[in-house]
Amino acid sequence: MADDLAGDVVAAVPVAAAVGRRRGQIGTSWTAGVAGGAGLLLAWELIALYWLHQRDGVPTPVAVARVMWHDLTSHYIFHVASLTVKEALQGFVVADVAAIALAIAFVQFPPLERLLLRLTVATYCLPLIALVPILSSVFGSQSTAPRATIAALLVFFTTLVGTLLGLRSADASSLELVRAYGGGSWAQLRKVRLKSALPYIMAALRIAAPTAVLGALIGEELGAGGGGSGIGVVMISTQQRLQVADTWALAGWATLLAGLGYVIVGLVGRAVVPWSATGRRS
Amino acid sequence: MATRPAQDRSLTSSASADGISIRALHKEFRLGRSSVVALEDVNLSTPQGSFLALLGPSGCGKSTVLRILADLEQPTSGEVMVHGEPPSATRRQHHLGIAFQDAALLPWRSVTANIRLPLEVSGVKVPDAAIADLIALVGLDGFEKARPAQLSGGMRQRVAIARALVVEPKILLLDEPFGALDEMTRQRLNLELLRIWTERVTTTLLVTHSISEAVFLADRVAVMSPRPGRVAALVDVDLPRPRTPDMLRSPNFHDLEDELSALLFQKGVAPSGDDV
Repeated sequence: MADDLAGDVVAAVPVAAAVGRRRGQIGTSWTAGVAGGAGLLLAWELIALYWLHQRDGVPTPVAVARVMWHDLTSHYIFHVASLTVKEALQGFVVADVAAIALAIAFVQFPPLERLLLRLTVATYCLPLIALVPILSSVFGSQSTAPRATIAALLVFFTTLVGTLLGLRSADASSLELVRAYGGGSWAQLRKVRLKSALPYIMAALRIAAPTAVLGALIGEELGAGGGGSGIGVVMISTQQRLQVADTWALAGWATLLAGLGYVIVGLVGRAVVPWSATGRRS
Repeated sequence: MATRPAQDRSLTSSASADGISIRALHKEFRLGRSSVVALEDVNLSTPQGSFLALLGPSGCGKSTVLRILADLEQPTSGEVMVHGEPPSATRRQHHLGIAFQDAALLPWRSVTANIRLPLEVSGVKVPDAAIADLIALVGLDGFEKARPAQLSGGMRQRVAIARALVVEPKILLLDEPFGALDEMTRQRLNLELLRIWTERVTTTLLVTHSISEAVFLADRVAVMSPRPGRVAALVDVDLPRPRTPDMLRSPNFHDLEDELSALLFQKGVAPSGDDV
């Protein structure tokens, strides 16, 4: 619970920047975000130092920052994070490709949607912990695939729904126009639907990027598969050794990683959907 | 029926040179268990190369007639032919140009790329010079690379008209193309449409709820009445071509306007005030 809170503080900075899209607001929202974050960190520091200092379990932000810095200068974090990033990327790519392909199939063959949509909801509602032994026995206990699969499962449904919404958002007159010129549903897809869906797909992918990182982390923490120590695996072992500041430092790195994914996909989105982000400029 | 006997000759003629020919057209829309009669016994016919306006209040089914001609809706019964072929054949052979009230431009495409869309869909090849000519024809030179978001409402409709003409259609279907524009822009674009149409005489169907627009542009006006939609009267417009803006002030023009508004408002054509 507490590291969720810390995660929110770190993640709030890019979120605030993204929300304050209009130029005049970017300055103020950044200052507000930084001020809010700094205030919270200060409060945390004071509480950890003066109220909760007798108990283990609540390290000060300074102690956490010191460990994070050490992780960075010793290159330890690159070593640990590379595996988690790999799992997250695998899950992200596989789930998103599958979700976008399935959304297209649903729009092109509506009976398929009636048949399969409920099943895809189930992928999202399934308790992941039930899957861990199955995935480990399917892929082998030394494979990273079970962790990537858990990341993929967390991502799949939101991308599917976002893409479906986007494909359906296409302007009805434009679709009829394509039809009036002799085009069928594939021409409508190619000329109108896919581009119309792009802003929705990019928004879904933006949510999917941090989710994939956290999904890989959850997979590691649930002990799915194997193949090396990622952030989640190390977090568990530091927790068991009561190295609380170490655990929180790793949580901090994981949060930064998830936030980085969000920012990167957001930037890609602006590049590929210029008409919706900058169409009103000038 | 307010049909004047003088106009009946072309209504009954069935020469193969016909432009649009609609006979005993019925259209019902099903809404769950109930159904709504949108069109009842609609009969229309125009010679090739003529300009027909469908005039009526909203909900009279005039857009449905246009959509059936574009093969976007199927008739429940009746015969619809365009130049002697059914709308499905017209559509598949790319003989159709269409423009809606909504310009329906793709926001990610430039003016030129939007005009090219019908070519890409239909596979019809047109030299680049022809597209440049078309852009000049609708008065958009210098805006070839502009995006729809950078254009005014009137300019977007100009693009839509150019896009409708790019496949060199045999029939042009215009569904209130200037209906969402302000009166002044609309007048100006009507003049331009007339000029464009004079340069490329095409069998044209215009759906409109503007009386002056119908009189100014069309060779014949079909006045439609709602619930169920049917043709209440056919009026030939005997103004000479080419038509000029000063005809808008001529007594003949006003007489025709008066005649049409009388047909629209005094014969129970307009619905009793619920959705007009």
